[in-house]
Amino acid sequence: MRRLERPATIGESSSEGTGALSFPQGKMKPRKGFAVTVGLDLAEIDRVNAAFAAFAEAEQLPAKLGRTMRVAFDELLNNTISYGFRGRETGLITVDVGLVESLMTVTITDDGKAFDPLQAEAPDTGRSTQQRQIGGLGIYLVRQAMDAVRYERLDDRNVLTLEKTITED
Amino acid sequence: MEIAIRTQADVSLVALVGHLDTNTSAAAQEALNGLLAGGSRKIVVDCTTLEYISSAGLRVLLGTVKVLERDGGVLHLFGLNETVREVFDISGFSMILPVFGTEEDALRGLLG
Repeated sequence: MRRLERPATIGESSSEGTGALSFPQGKMKPRKGFAVTVGLDLAEIDRVNAAFAAFAEAEQLPAKLGRTMRVAFDELLNNTISYGFRGRETGLITVDVGLVESLMTVTITDDGKAFDPLQAEAPDTGRSTQQRQIGGLGIYLVRQAMDAVRYERLDDRNVLTLEKTITED
Repeated sequence: MEIAIRTQADVSLVALVGHLDTNTSAAAQEALNGLLAGGSRKIVVDCTTLEYISSAGLRVLLGTVKVLERDGGVLHLFGLNETVREVFDISGFSMILPVFGTEEDALRGLLG
């Protein structure tokens, strides 16, 4: 699924939000997208959803992808807003969505405490109702829904990158 | 999120309208807790108008089922769209909660 012309170096991804992404070789593909700054309030998740919905409508992205992304934003932002900034009044969270041809890249950056959600233990999805736990399920849902999820700690920030190639069905 | 509750014999039918996520799960939990407190032991959740569900919503359903099961109660669901069904499949909830295609199927065996 990964495109060969994408830069493979770690660190490149953080510059994607500037729109100044350049490819090392070959013809440059146009990048469409948007970025939203998110406040430390769970109600802000709906603002991200609204921004994504507007983008999805403009780009005529499949409705199913819209619903999948709402689940992903809910899982990831809920976690960051609720636990990433304990003891702090302010914080910076940004959501950057980019689309190059059919490859969508979503980068969620925050300057909260270092946290790699990919280190969470996979939930035991085979347990009975009385023994089931919800912990770890959110990030698991996101990983299953995306083609790739990467975490980096860069310049005292958590950078989570989601990749998904958009298909019509 | 809008939650519409109606009763048929001793079965409570709960229709979830919109999305069940971080920002709506408290309202859904409250509605279901109200049913449990009122003695409902047979709950059918109508998901035909449920757009999507996140793990915060799964937590609400699981919490309700845990209480119901201890009392010999049951919770059935029906009408899951593709997105909700996917979340149920990935999380393993399809294996532990009875999911039906239609209201008729979900009610069968609970009435009378």
